[in-house]
Amino acid sequence: MIKITDLEKYYRTEEVQTIALNKLSFEVKEGEFVAVMGPSGCGKSTLLNILGLLDDPDNGSFIFNGIEVSGFNERKRANLRKHNIGFVFQSFNLIDELTVFENVELPLIYTGVKPSERKKRVHEVLEKMQIMHRRKHFPQQLSGGQQQRVAVARAVVNNPKLILADEPTGNLDSSNGNEVMDLLTALNEQGTTIVMVTHSEHDAKFSHRIIRMLDGEKVTENVLV
Amino acid sequence: MMIVNYIKVAFRHLLKNKLPTSLNIIGLTVGLASIMTLGFGVYSYYDADSFIEKKEELYTLKTVLANGDEIDQTTYPLLGEIIHTSPDVAAATHIQGWNWPWLKVENKELQKNTKYVDTSFFKVFTLPLKYGNPKTALQGKYEIVISDEVSKQLFGDLNPIGQNITLDDSLNVTIQGVFKSLNPYSSLKFEVLLPTALLESTSDFKQGANWYNSFSYNYIRLKKDTDINKLEGDIWEIVMRNYESTKGLERIALASFLNYREDYNPTVDTIIKGSIATIVFVLIIVIINLLNLNTSVIYNRKKELAVRKIVGSGKRSLIAQFCIENAMLVFTSLIIAGILFIQVLLPAMNTIYGSRFGSIHFDLTSDYPIVILYVLSGILITVIVGIIPILNIISMPIILSLKGKSQNTNKSFFVRNTFITIQFALAIVFICVALVLKNQIQYMNNVPLGYNPEGVSIVKLNLDYKDKEAANSRIAVALEELKNNPYVQSFSTTEVIPTSYRYNYNNFYDPVSKVELGIRKGHAGQGYAETFGISLIEGRDFDELRDASESKSVIINRKAMESFGWSSIANKKVVEKGGKEETYNVIGLLEDFHYQDMQNDIEPILHYYGGKRGLGYNNSYLSIKITPGKEDLVINNLKGAFDDIASRHEFNYEPMNARVSSQYKLLNGILNTVNYVAFITIIITCMGMFGLISLNARKRVKEIGIRKVLGAGTGTITYLLSKQFIKLVLLSCVIAFPIAWYVMDSWLQNFAYRIDIKWWMFAASGLIALSITAITVGFRSIKAASANPIKSLRND
Repeated sequence: MIKITDLEKYYRTEEVQTIALNKLSFEVKEGEFVAVMGPSGCGKSTLLNILGLLDDPDNGSFIFNGIEVSGFNERKRANLRKHNIGFVFQSFNLIDELTVFENVELPLIYTGVKPSERKKRVHEVLEKMQIMHRRKHFPQQLSGGQQQRVAVARAVVNNPKLILADEPTGNLDSSNGNEVMDLLTALNEQGTTIVMVTHSEHDAKFSHRIIRMLDGEKVTENVLV
Repeated sequence: MMIVNYIKVAFRHLLKNKLPTSLNIIGLTVGLASIMTLGFGVYSYYDADSFIEKKEELYTLKTVLANGDEIDQTTYPLLGEIIHTSPDVAAATHIQGWNWPWLKVENKELQKNTKYVDTSFFKVFTLPLKYGNPKTALQGKYEIVISDEVSKQLFGDLNPIGQNITLDDSLNVTIQGVFKSLNPYSSLKFEVLLPTALLESTSDFKQGANWYNSFSYNYIRLKKDTDINKLEGDIWEIVMRNYESTKGLERIALASFLNYREDYNPTVDTIIKGSIATIVFVLIIVIINLLNLNTSVIYNRKKELAVRKIVGSGKRSLIAQFCIENAMLVFTSLIIAGILFIQVLLPAMNTIYGSRFGSIHFDLTSDYPIVILYVLSGILITVIVGIIPILNIISMPIILSLKGKSQNTNKSFFVRNTFITIQFALAIVFICVALVLKNQIQYMNNVPLGYNPEGVSIVKLNLDYKDKEAANSRIAVALEELKNNPYVQSFSTTEVIPTSYRYNYNNFYDPVSKVELGIRKGHAGQGYAETFGISLIEGRDFDELRDASESKSVIINRKAMESFGWSSIANKKVVEKGGKEETYNVIGLLEDFHYQDMQNDIEPILHYYGGKRGLGYNNSYLSIKITPGKEDLVINNLKGAFDDIASRHEFNYEPMNARVSSQYKLLNGILNTVNYVAFITIIITCMGMFGLISLNARKRVKEIGIRKVLGAGTGTITYLLSKQFIKLVLLSCVIAFPIAWYVMDSWLQNFAYRIDIKWWMFAASGLIALSITAITVGFRSIKAASANPIKSLRND
């Protein structure tokens, strides 16, 4: 599903150029659950942004679903993104002015799904995430674990092929964190490909494969299953 | 469906951010209401003459004097002669003022602004008729055309065509047309039209309408491609052939009707241009402030916008969302502003300017174009303030906005600072203008008048009596009673009183030295100087006991004496020029007094003897000096006497003090307007500044947190955030002071008696602006400075 080859990304300030990704190459197969680990500043988040089509690499190739996407413009990337990729963030990134239902509904609105269909799908996903009873609440009224479940619900409501998770348990206590990891595992078992960036060895153990990075390069790759 | 989501989010967002929302609505409402009011004034002004088609073909005649002065009138027969001799004239008419006859229908009687026009009137002016046919109206001698207001008062809602009206109880005319009442800002001012044929048959008009007296207003519609210079030459030949005297005349000019109103009343033109400038200015500051506030608000919402983009929103839908939010703000404000405009500001504007220029009223059925204009402006503002602040954010990489970071905004800060400076500079100019104006008005109110208005009551004598002889004798009795009333210190009946001298001049010369002067003149009588407390420094007052010989006596002021080069009036005579020269004895000398407002200098004036106290052609006012506290008693007695007399106008009187202070009514109105504009400028500018400093505080939240952790106190942080704005205000002062000085200095030149502009007026305006800034900025800065630093650092 994902194949990156010699991917490079630089950050430039007036005087210094920092390498965030240095000729990084790896592949993620459809249905895989991959964890990316490494110390702060090793390039994990940059990688996730590029995989999520939020950022463009400076060099190298990025093939998504068999298509070379590294040269895509913003509109093409956005279009590909909204139909294929779901995001889960450490800080949830829910919209405060929208209720749980409306937050989850948002991606469906932007992909032009009809209202009746939207309602059905949002209800389904909220049931699955066990947050249906909170559908009329606003994010501030929920606990961290509940908020992250809403965020996961929003990420999967469009049935994306790929979920990118950036430290999904980083803001949660261990029991809520485990719940979220169980959700992601369940999704993966149903066929969704997941790439997760994490600091937590515990969380990484839920994945099939761990890619460890340092200074923008892949240092090791452990297959867990 | 998307739109429901937008509206929902917009509504929740506006509710959540109560302070910025309220600030936006207040600023917008005040700004838009002012724009609406001024805009309606401007619209009315330009719409007022819209019924007149092809104005470029219209001309008026002006008499140009050898000294360069221009008079809007010519002799009456000139127009007829031009029509006869010139093939270039398509149509022409007089619009002649003469008298305002009383119009009577059964028991209803009224008197309205009446003009006499020629049969071609409707060919010159395309005045649409509500009833009647303009082609046939006013073709006969006994016809009349009236406004729908007059028609309503006399006939209710009926179509009055063919009905009769009696003029001055003596003449029947038939209604041939009804026109929609003219806008008070129109070039044409009348409510009743009668044919000149009727006027020409009256003996006193016939006597004056010769080739000597210039009192006629002429309007000509010329054929296309007329050579104006040639026609002016032809007209001058007519003048040379027919005028009894062309001494002092330079030429007769054809003046384009396009400039008619500006020529006729330059003050209105200045007010209209000032209004347009103010509209543009207020609109700009309203938009700038909304931009500033929105930029500040949107900074908080970067994350939301980033999330929306991640889950699939395009740029267009983000812009649409933001526009809808702003549309809700703008249109809410527009509605409140509309109510404010109709209920408060328009009546206020009419109070200020109505008595001078006429009141205007909003009527949706005819004024809908301006409503459409307001709605379009609302849409335009929405689009501008909805799109610009968001452009920067949506073009940023998503990952940056997701982290709440911003791109380098030094440039936009510079632009915003420039706007703030310009706004403040203008606000300071307005404050300076208001201060100078206020001081000038105060000064004019406090300058010794040279007479004493205290305790003097003014009664108007010309009430259109139905039986003049009966009125004469009844009033003679009433005045005799005044003589014997212990509370009446003195009284006089005169043509002129201070505040009300006509622009009536003639040339007089000293028969000995031959020095010749243009002198302003009017009729007075016994008791005039005494009643008003004008000091009689030499000679004597008029004396009714010498009634027979007094008509050859005049009383002048000191200025006239000095202008003749005399040091005393003893044995002095003056000769009045023009026609038959008359010689007068100068019997009294008055100390100079301010018979007109302080805008005008004291000129040489001369009073003829107006006859014995009583009703009379030369007596318009009865002035009575009454013992303080007894005014009501004396006036009520007098009213009783006047009530015995059948007249068309009601008895009315006015304390002289009120007349004096009403001289500055327009200036006070302008002062109120300037105060108001200064106020809204400051309010709106402060709101923009409040938005800016909020944005600044948010951007520097980390810096503030770190500084506080390192030991900075609230005071230091407040200073840090405020100093930039204080600097901007100081810069505004530097820009504003010379402008304000220049504007006010040139304006004060219009006043004969004026204040000096003092340094403290500028200092005060600067201080006012600075204090307001300190309060606005301080309020927000202290809030930012006293926030818990742990919170702000954790957020980062």
